[in-house]
Amino acid sequence: MVTQGLGDVGGDGRAPVNALAAGIVTGGGPLPAAATADLLRRAAEWRQAEAHGREVVSVGFPTLERLLPAGGLRRGSLVEWLAGGDAAGAVSLACAVACRLADPRSPGRGAAPRMSGETSRETLRETSRHASSQAATIVVVDRGQRFYPPAVMPWLESEEMAAHGGRRPQLVVARPSRDDDEIWAVDQALRCPGVAVVLAWPGRVHPTAMRRWQLAARSSGAVGLLVRGLSGRLSACEPTWADTRVAVAPVVERDAVVDPAVRRLRLVLAGGAWSGSDMLVDRSVEVLLDTVHGREAVCRRPLPSHQGPRPATGAASGPMVGPMVGPMADSWTKGAACRAS
Amino acid sequence: MSRIMTIWLPRWPVQRRLLERPELRRRPVFVCRRERRGVMTVVAWAWAVPPRAPMAASRRSAVPRIPAGMSLAEAMAVLSLTYGSRGCHVAEVDHDDPAADRAALEELARSCRRFAPLVAIEAAASPHEGPECLHIDVTGTSGFFGGEHTLVRTAVWTLAARGIHARAAIADTPAAAWAAAHHTDSLQAADPRGRAAGRHRRVAVVPPGGQIPSLAGLPAAALRLDAAVTAQLQDVGIETIGGVARLPRKSLASRFSPQLLQRLAEFTGERAEPLVVPCSGELPTAAETFDFPLLLRDTLLDDLIAVIERLLQACVAPLAAEGKGVMALQVRLERGASVEALVEGREACAPAVIDIGVFQPTASARHLAELVRLRMARMRLPREIEGIVVEVVSAGAAECRQRTLFGEATGASASQVAMLMDRLAGRLGRGAVFEPKPVADAQPEHAWAAVPPMARAVRSRARPVRDQRPIWATARSAAHQRPIWLLPMPLRLEAVSVVDAVDATAGPPVRFRLTAASASRIDSDRWAGIGTQPHDVVRAHGPERIETAWWRGPTVRRDYYVVETSSGNRYWIFRRLRGGAAGRAEGEWFVHGVFC
Repeated sequence: MVTQGLGDVGGDGRAPVNALAAGIVTGGGPLPAAATADLLRRAAEWRQAEAHGREVVSVGFPTLERLLPAGGLRRGSLVEWLAGGDAAGAVSLACAVACRLADPRSPGRGAAPRMSGETSRETLRETSRHASSQAATIVVVDRGQRFYPPAVMPWLESEEMAAHGGRRPQLVVARPSRDDDEIWAVDQALRCPGVAVVLAWPGRVHPTAMRRWQLAARSSGAVGLLVRGLSGRLSACEPTWADTRVAVAPVVERDAVVDPAVRRLRLVLAGGAWSGSDMLVDRSVEVLLDTVHGREAVCRRPLPSHQGPRPATGAASGPMVGPMVGPMADSWTKGAACRAS
Repeated sequence: MSRIMTIWLPRWPVQRRLLERPELRRRPVFVCRRERRGVMTVVAWAWAVPPRAPMAASRRSAVPRIPAGMSLAEAMAVLSLTYGSRGCHVAEVDHDDPAADRAALEELARSCRRFAPLVAIEAAASPHEGPECLHIDVTGTSGFFGGEHTLVRTAVWTLAARGIHARAAIADTPAAAWAAAHHTDSLQAADPRGRAAGRHRRVAVVPPGGQIPSLAGLPAAALRLDAAVTAQLQDVGIETIGGVARLPRKSLASRFSPQLLQRLAEFTGERAEPLVVPCSGELPTAAETFDFPLLLRDTLLDDLIAVIERLLQACVAPLAAEGKGVMALQVRLERGASVEALVEGREACAPAVIDIGVFQPTASARHLAELVRLRMARMRLPREIEGIVVEVVSAGAAECRQRTLFGEATGASASQVAMLMDRLAGRLGRGAVFEPKPVADAQPEHAWAAVPPMARAVRSRARPVRDQRPIWATARSAAHQRPIWLLPMPLRLEAVSVVDAVDATAGPPVRFRLTAASASRIDSDRWAGIGTQPHDVVRAHGPERIETAWWRGPTVRRDYYVVETSSGNRYWIFRRLRGGAAGRAEGEWFVHGVFC
């Protein structure tokens, strides 16, 4: 768990730190604890210096924000979503996050730059008043030509936005037919300052291309959401240039009263540019995705405890308490019940 | 002897609207004119992708006959006889706009200068009929394209690549070419390669001096005669051009309208017919001719782009002074004679043409040069060029913003997004970049349409229509959730365990997997979203019955379920139904979507 995502490569000073850290954790070469702590502290300082001046935006999922190191996503960052199965829900979650990031009423859009994610929620709400009324653009680079826009288009028309008279975010789909076109299209979209979010599900990406994406996102402030591992070729141990890498796995619900419009996903922070102290902590949360509205669902009773180990820290613990509610909560039928009838 | 190529664009007012709004291709489109007393008459109509007509005996008889001038009420009645009342409900009725039709035709005429420098628009026969033809003087230029047959086919397929249906013919005179282009189906000529003329033949070439022998069998109306003159000819038993040509000319002048003699003289070439070159709103052109042929092998692409950018700046500057920007332009790389052309006896080759189109008018020469660079990097350039011609094909009002001292002006990001769309479309193709728009159709495959991006302003100016949003776009319940990925074709499933295969109320299967045929259709390189292993269904939600209307052709009846497997994956599967209201199932299951 701890070694995942530590194989960062590159020449900007991060590779030696990660290599040392990987050696420590995996037992390759023991170092004094003081030297380790010093290295990790310096790495955290370097990354904070790199993130200086980049605004933190809300992803619209409070549970997910508790998982992210900065309490949100910084503008100009790349996020990798590792799919834990064929239909695990990683693309759905990434699409929902993209819609929330592009929402002109979302906290953080158009606000003044902030330094860290420790700012209180009240500040985020305050900044939402200054959000730009201009519609943001979501660019979906659909390499496999299987993206179905009707699944996402209702998510862009939230009731809050209609109440405030905001413009619906613009959804643009680009369908490259070749791998190099896909890489080029993602790069171009990330470089455009008018684009809020770029969503893609690339296959194999050379680290050089991903480094270009990172620099492109830094230059424009767009957030890149990359769903990877759909073909089963990528492991969490592979190096990445993404700032955050989140593994997404579905949680099997055998409770028939659960709302069918709610999907329960387990998220594990599996890599990326986190701070050194966080590397020794198992950070995982469970998110309830409302597949009808594209936002986090509300629940009222404690969830059953069969979903795996609980996170070690309080910040990473799940907030779900209470039964899931919804109009179709009682319409789910179990297969066994169907056979019996 | 001159040679004229006529390009006929049937039902041009409708075609223009389909080019601007491709989502109308699945609906009947009527372009009407308001006459006296408020009567609406049909100018042109078309249904680009019509459904199967359930009331027609054959596909050929399914096309309703609605001539121009018929009242809209009568046209709707004729349409409903063939397609039912639903066809009238979904029909798009638009008012006639001759000025916009002519402006679009002039843009097309400018882009057709790739075939020859002199491109004219046909003179309208009457004030109520707009022009639908382009006359191009191809005298001496057909050799650049490998002959007249190759040229006329190139012209038709170049327009077809832009979604324009056209028919073309080459003859000695504009009148003869006009007649041949309007009756390419009935011409019996075969091309030099020996292929016989098909029923849907779109091109024709009349040999030099052979308009009378070749076109003698065409109806007399092909001489562009008025209806009254045609009726006069039919009264005396003359129905073809050959019959008119055999009459003595002296008697023609005394017995018939002078128009007949004039049209016949223009047809045979005894009287010259002037070509009307569109002169209204001439758009800028810039050219650069090199002293010596430029070998592109020894030239850097950056140097070539620098020259093109200078020409683009020369074209953009006068437009920007008028507050306009470029919507489409053409870059032609004039080629010299290649070795192959010299062997074949040709003097030169056709220019290499780069068509550039943008979604919003732009006055940025750098942005246009970047689009040209993207296209040139992916095309096969000629070995050497003798000159470069940049011609603006279409222009529009550009958005002007006041510059600010600090920060960016409002709307700057929108223009940057528009430039991004242009770049993406320039490399990926114009159809590969789009915005989705909901469509009121029950079948999931047709529940959305791709529209060109940055077209919101155009759509908002359209007349308001009644809300036809599909139920998934308005309903906020779990019953109408849609998968993130939709498979191009539903994959057949093998239901391993099910209660009753023929009982439609039995619910979804408890275990399924792809059939061998479906598994073989999965592309090994790209992930399909579903594996070939068996899937145990833990929970299911549904059914959501989807049924298409009878007027759309074969009825599609499906019961969709959202199933969750034991591994936590969610799929959108359906059972195909057939039969009456009882809903007897066929027992065939398909997976259609993945909640990935």
